[in-house]
Amino acid sequence: MIAFTLLACSKEVNEVGLLPYLPAKLDETGGNWKTFVLSSGSEVAVDVPRLVSDAVYLKEIDSLKTVVIPSLTGDQRAAVLYWGAGAVLRWNEIGRELAARYNLPPAANSAGVYPVPNSADPLADPKFPFANPPYTARALAYLSVAQYDALVSTWKYKFLYNRQAPYQVDATIKPLLPTSNLPAYPSTDAVVAQASYTILLAMFPGEGPFLASKLAEAKNAPIWAGVCVGSDVNAGAKLGAAVAAKVMARAKTDGMGSANNQALTAAMISNSKALGLPNPWISQEIPMRPPMLPNYGAVKTWNFDRSTLELIRPEKPYLEGSAEFNADLEELKSIQANQTRTQAAIANYWADGPGSFTPPGHWHRYAAQAGVEAKLSELRMARMFAYVGTALMDAGIGCWDTKYYYYSPRPQQFGLKTSVGLPNFPSYTSGHSTFSYAASTVLSSLFPERTKTFEGYAQEASDSRVYGLIHFRVDCTMGGKHGKVIGAFAVQRAVADGAN
Amino acid sequence: MFCLLGFVELKAQMPHDAIYMNKNLACGALVYGNNYWTNYWENSLKRDNPNIGRLTTQSVTAMIAYGIKRDLNVIAMIPFVKTEASQGNLLGQQGVQDLSVFLKAKTKSYHGLTAHGVLGFSIPVSNYVPDFMPMSIGLGAKTLLARGIISYNVTKNIYLSSSIAYQARSFVKADRDAYLSGSKLYNTDQVPVPDAFDAAFRVGYLKKDNQLELFAEHFSCTKGDDILRNNMPFLTNDMTMTSVGMYGKYQPKSFGVNARVAYVVDGQNVGQSTTLSVGLLYQFKVK
Repeated sequence: MIAFTLLACSKEVNEVGLLPYLPAKLDETGGNWKTFVLSSGSEVAVDVPRLVSDAVYLKEIDSLKTVVIPSLTGDQRAAVLYWGAGAVLRWNEIGRELAARYNLPPAANSAGVYPVPNSADPLADPKFPFANPPYTARALAYLSVAQYDALVSTWKYKFLYNRQAPYQVDATIKPLLPTSNLPAYPSTDAVVAQASYTILLAMFPGEGPFLASKLAEAKNAPIWAGVCVGSDVNAGAKLGAAVAAKVMARAKTDGMGSANNQALTAAMISNSKALGLPNPWISQEIPMRPPMLPNYGAVKTWNFDRSTLELIRPEKPYLEGSAEFNADLEELKSIQANQTRTQAAIANYWADGPGSFTPPGHWHRYAAQAGVEAKLSELRMARMFAYVGTALMDAGIGCWDTKYYYYSPRPQQFGLKTSVGLPNFPSYTSGHSTFSYAASTVLSSLFPERTKTFEGYAQEASDSRVYGLIHFRVDCTMGGKHGKVIGAFAVQRAVADGAN
Repeated sequence: MFCLLGFVELKAQMPHDAIYMNKNLACGALVYGNNYWTNYWENSLKRDNPNIGRLTTQSVTAMIAYGIKRDLNVIAMIPFVKTEASQGNLLGQQGVQDLSVFLKAKTKSYHGLTAHGVLGFSIPVSNYVPDFMPMSIGLGAKTLLARGIISYNVTKNIYLSSSIAYQARSFVKADRDAYLSGSKLYNTDQVPVPDAFDAAFRVGYLKKDNQLELFAEHFSCTKGDDILRNNMPFLTNDMTMTSVGMYGKYQPKSFGVNARVAYVVDGQNVGQSTTLSVGLLYQFKVK
């Protein structure tokens, strides 16, 4: 019975904990880095703060010392440690969690029709959004861009006004987090929290109460930690909201609203046939499900323009009946007959299907790990996510454009099964391959010593779709090449932004 | 003893009954099982799924029960399992599943009442994929089981029995490295399979080695989450099911046969399955 008790008591899931750290660099000149949506870090004005000798400010310090810090609860201390690991990081995690919670394809109703999620009634069945890979790539891209632009602006004003942190003003204040010489006004945590809240609420409109509670805690945490006073936080929240509103203005006009335009598919199928594909893609679901976001390829890209998108579109896939096509088909048949456990494990590891944070989420997680290990400043962490995030969204757009341009059939139209579940959209090129190589290209440029690791992950993610029997080899090799090119545009932008 | 959408319950003759092999007597069995469902409970919503159609799980189980003493038996079993969906494109899985070993002991009868205790464990013996449900052949968890049984002889040949069991189930290493449980995302491949209870009530007729029994069984997890709308089941699900069935055994000499049928009448996060099994039995003396 002792063994029973032991087993029963150890059912708490242990995740690798993330702890607050002192950044390797403060990135003092970050306020001059090039932004994505803002014209510059000074586009949004921030009020001049009161001096640290001002009576109103000193009252805030006094309240921190005599009221806030002496009465901290255990929960508040835990919140300080949680948010202290990194505001950018934590909101990125929250974004990934929401993506996983909303990544569920609608069920068919009794009439055999798949209802379209309704943003005005997000918690009804089917919930809005269906956070599939393109949706999640976009949500995380806007989240990351808003965080980055807001933090460039934050750095601008931090070093312009140079208002010190409470523990520098009053040495009797013992902060709960590692300290640095980073000026406190406006508060980094509050800027990131308010910007992230605004974007995530727009992307996941049914999550108002959940996000509001995270926002409130994130804004209080730096005060509880003794690293900010209320006026630092208020200025940060105001800045974060203003920047996020500008970023959302881009989101509202980027074409996502017509990404699910199903009326376009008839012309796409005709185009496919005209290109020489005798049997274009057709849904393998029962009842047949309309394809996922057929017009996502028309959404506005970040790091290159529309004519470039068409220029870099992968060439035609192997045509049914050709020797190359037959070789790819034979490879799949042979894997189906003799799939090894290692192949199954790779296919499952990267499946990132329904109920998961999708491949873009998986790559944001790799980025997060690398950023933490490199002890990036909040600003540089946001910069990393912005380039990885926009590259992933661009990869989604480029890949979806390709998929619906060729409208090519899945292996299941040739009798194959799948060990991971079949995505409901055309085959060529592989989304996993495009996403993964785009992200690995950006991450390799930011962390050159890890190039081999990231490229290894990308190749494995790409192979996983062959092992899972849902892509032909050519879908993956061409998707990977396309992803590399797309990632390189993000890198090109990054090298010129003033951060290096 | 197993709890999975469409899982075969390998219960023919077994660690849950009140029957013992005499000392040094062994009974080997080879049992074929066929479990199938078309409808399942997605959380509490009963539905079908045309992209699965009928999910069939076939199994062949090798089993042995041995009398260490007339009131202490050891039972071991190992199944080969194969799954298949009649529609859609999910690839069937197959392989050797989990080895289970049980010790079963009883007290002396007191006015027709006997108490029994069963202790057992199971452990996966092949590296099958646990997180491709409902096609996976098992949950991949190690389990420890403790069961108490009270049996009562109404007459010489009619018996009643009632049992309750607790199963502690281990973490499973999933192939994926992140999963959603409830509304929380866990960034790890370590998945806790919830512990479970089962309880049963049986009434039967037993004469020598021949037996006919009716039973009702209930299985539920101590915690866990529910299948999300239109999602696949997962290892963390709180599975519940109530089933009824019939078991019979005919063993004129060393060779015998048994058969079992069970039907899930109600459940949550499980398939509404029917299980049929037939076994070939062979009794022999050891030493």
